[in-house]
Amino acid sequence: MTRPRTLPTAEGPYPPTEEMLNAPVSEAEQKRGGEELRAAWKTPEGWRYVTAVNNSEVGKWYCLTALAFMLIAGVLALLMRVQLAYPDMTFLDADRFNQFFTMHGSAMMFLFAVPMFEAISILILPAFLGARDMPFPRLSAYGYWCFLIGGCFVLGSLLFDAGPKAGWFMYPPLATKEEGVGPDIWLLGLSFIEVASIAAAVELIVGALKCRPPGMRVNIMPLYAWYVLVVGGMILFAFPPLIAGDFLFELERSFDWPFFDPTRGGDPILWQHLFWIFGHPEVYIVFLPSIAIAAMIVPTVAQRPIVGYSWIVLSAVGTGFLSFGLWVHHMFTTGLPQISLGFFSAASEAVVIPTGIQIFAFVATLMVGRVKLTLPMLWIAGALAIFVAGGLTGVMLAIVPFNWQVHDTYFIVAHLHYTLFGGMVFPVIAGVYYFYPFFAKKLLSERLGLWAFWLIFSGFNITFLPMHLTGLMGMPRRVFTYPESSGWGWLNLISTLGAFIVAAGFAVFLFDLLRPKKAQGQIPRNPWGAGTLEFSHDVPEEAWGARSVPYVTSRYPLWDQPKLLARMDAGRYYLPDAPEHQRETIVTSVIDAKPVHVQRVTGPAWITILAAIFTGGAFIFPTFHIYTPAIICAAFAIVCIMYWLWTSTARPPKDDMRDAGLGLRLPTYASGPQSVGWWGMWITMLGDATAFASVVFGFFFYWTARPDFPPEGAAHPAGLWVAVAALAAVAAWALTVAARESNARGQVTLARIALLLAPLAAGAAGVAAWAAVRDLDPTSHVYPAILWALMVWLVVHLGAGVLMQGYCLAGSVFGKMTPRHDAELRNVTLYWHFMAVKALVTTAVLGLAPGWLT
Amino acid sequence: MRLIPSVTLLRSTALLTGLSLLSACEGRQSVLNPAGRDAQDVLGLIWVMFGGAALLWFLLGAIFAYVTRVEPREMPRRWGEALIIGGGVIFPVILLGALLAYSLPMMAPQRAAEEGLKVHITAEQWWWRVAYELPDGRRIVSANELRLPVGRRTGLVLNAHKVIHAFWVPALGGKVDMIPGRETYLSFQPEEPGVYRGQCAEFCGASHALMAFETVVMTPEDYAAWLEAEAADAQKPASAEAYRGAEVFAREGCGACHTVRGTSAAGQVGPDLTHVGSRKSLGAGILQMTQDDLSRFVAHTEAIKPEVAMPSYDHLTLKDLRALAAYLKGLT
Amino acid sequence: MSDIRDEQDAHEFRAEALSLWRITFGPLIWALHFVCSYGATALVCAKAGAEAVPVLRMGIGIGTLLALALIFWFGLQAWRQWDLRRDREWENDAGTGEDRHQFLGHAGFLLAAISFIGVVYVALPALFIGTCA
Repeated sequence: MTRPRTLPTAEGPYPPTEEMLNAPVSEAEQKRGGEELRAAWKTPEGWRYVTAVNNSEVGKWYCLTALAFMLIAGVLALLMRVQLAYPDMTFLDADRFNQFFTMHGSAMMFLFAVPMFEAISILILPAFLGARDMPFPRLSAYGYWCFLIGGCFVLGSLLFDAGPKAGWFMYPPLATKEEGVGPDIWLLGLSFIEVASIAAAVELIVGALKCRPPGMRVNIMPLYAWYVLVVGGMILFAFPPLIAGDFLFELERSFDWPFFDPTRGGDPILWQHLFWIFGHPEVYIVFLPSIAIAAMIVPTVAQRPIVGYSWIVLSAVGTGFLSFGLWVHHMFTTGLPQISLGFFSAASEAVVIPTGIQIFAFVATLMVGRVKLTLPMLWIAGALAIFVAGGLTGVMLAIVPFNWQVHDTYFIVAHLHYTLFGGMVFPVIAGVYYFYPFFAKKLLSERLGLWAFWLIFSGFNITFLPMHLTGLMGMPRRVFTYPESSGWGWLNLISTLGAFIVAAGFAVFLFDLLRPKKAQGQIPRNPWGAGTLEFSHDVPEEAWGARSVPYVTSRYPLWDQPKLLARMDAGRYYLPDAPEHQRETIVTSVIDAKPVHVQRVTGPAWITILAAIFTGGAFIFPTFHIYTPAIICAAFAIVCIMYWLWTSTARPPKDDMRDAGLGLRLPTYASGPQSVGWWGMWITMLGDATAFASVVFGFFFYWTARPDFPPEGAAHPAGLWVAVAALAAVAAWALTVAARESNARGQVTLARIALLLAPLAAGAAGVAAWAAVRDLDPTSHVYPAILWALMVWLVVHLGAGVLMQGYCLAGSVFGKMTPRHDAELRNVTLYWHFMAVKALVTTAVLGLAPGWLT
Repeated sequence: MRLIPSVTLLRSTALLTGLSLLSACEGRQSVLNPAGRDAQDVLGLIWVMFGGAALLWFLLGAIFAYVTRVEPREMPRRWGEALIIGGGVIFPVILLGALLAYSLPMMAPQRAAEEGLKVHITAEQWWWRVAYELPDGRRIVSANELRLPVGRRTGLVLNAHKVIHAFWVPALGGKVDMIPGRETYLSFQPEEPGVYRGQCAEFCGASHALMAFETVVMTPEDYAAWLEAEAADAQKPASAEAYRGAEVFAREGCGACHTVRGTSAAGQVGPDLTHVGSRKSLGAGILQMTQDDLSRFVAHTEAIKPEVAMPSYDHLTLKDLRALAAYLKGLT
Repeated sequence: MSDIRDEQDAHEFRAEALSLWRITFGPLIWALHFVCSYGATALVCAKAGAEAVPVLRMGIGIGTLLALALIFWFGLQAWRQWDLRRDREWENDAGTGEDRHQFLGHAGFLLAAISFIGVVYVALPALFIGTCA
């Protein structure tokens, strides 16, 4: 067989010259393109509306759902404030109060703060980038439905008085020993949402890296995209340790494997490490995207480009890194060595510097510009006032002796609300006012906005400013009552009054947001005079995102490229039509945003909703220790996802090339690093590897923290089986690579044989790994338990790898995958590269570590 | 006759009447009223940091107000860059470096080794098991109250039974977690005799809010005398009512969980009651040590302290309850 | 009119598939220094005991100097790439290959600077605290 032709690459003139851009587009051409696009991007109507996957629809649902969850969590806060208004109140009993504060924290973090970032980004990132949609719209829809189901499930537990009540941090042994399903609901419900978060992060990273408009090099990306990149990366490294912790935690709850039980060699501190390795970066995951909104508003207000663009990029990237060196400042009182505490104290102070740079860059921009105070800017100003106060108390809290005094007191409650209101709530509301004309095509009321601002701003300070003093006067957190003799009564009463003022402010804001605005008429297209691409939107609304994808040469194209809007509208730029009535977007190179290919984007579907429902079942049934329906649901979820991938992704196109406009011809299929799918896989695997590393970290943590690890005379894994597992896993990897190579050379039969043998080798590896630890009793001690956990982790991943190999084999047999169109096989090979490393590390820990450690 | 008041009403009245008596001495649990060396050092740090923070906040606010309200016109770009470098880099690097250099050396003295006594404290849900370790290795067991000599550094060896708690006496110094399966260490050097309130600071379950204790700081002479008394066996009932109470105590099987040294009661599950009557509070810092509160607590334990391990003895007659309370009050 | 297949930019300002990664080198060294310092402290304090603390502090000191030297070197490279002294250009905000090249240098330089400060800060505890307690 001869080697098949490789895929074509882009051809034609690029960058476009002014002459090309000046050439008019004929009326007929404009009309044809517009109609084709309108047909391709039509939003489903009637009851089919829920099948929509377009970022503008999913983003709106996502935002509204997160807002609703926030309001519920806020009501819980009000009820708690009533209980604390006077000493010895009996409005809520201890049990209910504990459920409420647990749910308030969990919901605000997992159901509001992080999802809100994803929601807003899904809604507006494509517009910043002049893109038609996110690269994987069905994935966002799937993530949204998972979020909705999981959030309702977790919050709903309160209605049955079955909510978790061990705090949002779920410290074992309190949480592992708690009776009832509360902790299981927390663990499984939120794990489910964490998975959805990671999916969104993957999509956002790929979106910012690969779906920028032609010409938008990294140095002229909107700052928001930089923040999305950084925050996406942080999610990828921060959430997996928590997922690993959840995995160990649920194994202890369900099967009594003693990871956190000190009587059998476990250690509750491991959970604290895993939780806060997630928990602290999480604070910045919440803060950075909100400050990114400020970075978009401030230049508009100043009517000047941002001062210190590079400084802000430095600050975002630097904060992203440093935020991973802070987690122990939540554990200063656990009795760790003082030098260790010192490292985290120092790193916690260091992170102040990039954060400060960020704020000074905003002030500098306002200084250089001609400031026009608008309502969004008022909210940003409020945010800065509050956030700076929270940041200053943060500087204090990083000082260990001070922290020893105020840790777990109301001082912390005050500090964290100052950072979160200033760093998240206020900027997000500013964003709502600023972007409302963009996504709703209406304006919010200036008068109501002022009312809402002053109510929330003053109410907030009345609530939380006194709490600093309450904490210093000795009031611990998470107490459902306090004695009158404490002298905390008057401070708490003030806080409660303030909380209701905040609530009144939110009521005004919500009314303004949701009231019908039919009478308002058509709004101007760019009401704030902004310079970035989102305000090139169509008024009235069109679902296509951008009429044509522009060629961008400036950070503020609407200010610096005067003819841009007219050319976009006329369809002068790229992808001005959709001849096959397919949804498409343009994929560009990572650094310089050169056009690479045209990506077909998926459209409305039921399958994503079904997949989310079954995934929900797979997570929700185990909460009640019902495993058979859970397994059935998991199987259906896998089938749904397979079906969805099979029918709509990486199908070999009819034509190899497509006229993309301006004389450019772009390929319609991409494989390997050129394709967005490959990037998605690579990024997902980074997150997965982090989770795996966290489990391995657990193994070595026990070794340093516990003298009886491994316990004397303990049985070790069977060496022979460990060796077999390692060899078989490597064989499965080698066969997958061989399949990719022979397929690319056109030796299809050889590739199919390799793809037939590879799952067998992978299966053998799984069986051998199981056989290696079969004789150890995981309930007896943490040593066999962590070995079992590693084995389970490996086997589950081998299982996923086998499914992928089978998918490729089927693709090859049924003509979905050809020697030229091998995107799936390349992605699966990438998975197996990671798989091979994981298998080798697992077998090394299983087989070699006991020898080294004893 | 039995006591059948409403559960919630009972708890609130018990707490109100009990603790309003203590309200005369507010601030006994405050970081701002230090009575120990470590707390004093931290308070100094607090004033420095708060002063600096307030200054910085107003300074930044003033800059912000100036550029947006007072002078909203355009200013040269160079000024903006200078602001970022000066305000965002140079200034904080120096300030934070100085703060670290000032605060890092403060840590070790606060965890210094003890000069005399060592006290072992184990947190239970929701009370404190206390054992004083004398230099000769002897241990004197007590509960729910800590007594310390003034002027000398006493070491506290902390542990927890089932779940994580945290040990905190704000007036004396910072807190340390109490973790099952781990031993943590803290030391205090009290400077002022007096009674200070401590409280569990790590969420530990339903009655987390009701897990406190009194710390009594005494002169060395008083302390030596007290320690000697605490080491002794329990006093015999001194009145007919107390005698009857001792009988109730035995009949109801209280000794299965509680120890009263010098009697047959040797239970290890609940707090040691050998000298319970001499303590400043009842129920781990939530009630007064009076006959009224004692009988209420015994009769309605679960209502006063949710999910506590001790059952409510609400089947006892009022007379038995009062007798039991008289007996316990007499165990000084 | 240039063709999309021309690699002119890449020749002039180096093929920068790696340059986005390069700006993270400074923070990565900071992270490595941090993890090693923390891990070594945890190990020494759990397994070796008090007498090994001076060795630990010495080790952290040497590691710190090494990390600072590496960051300095990366910072210097990034400084040259930024090329401030030649064109006095701070913003690098044009959609050209040159500005993109210099911007990545600028960002890399700033990140190296912040990492340098971070490493110095993280080394302070080893300077001021001499006990595992």
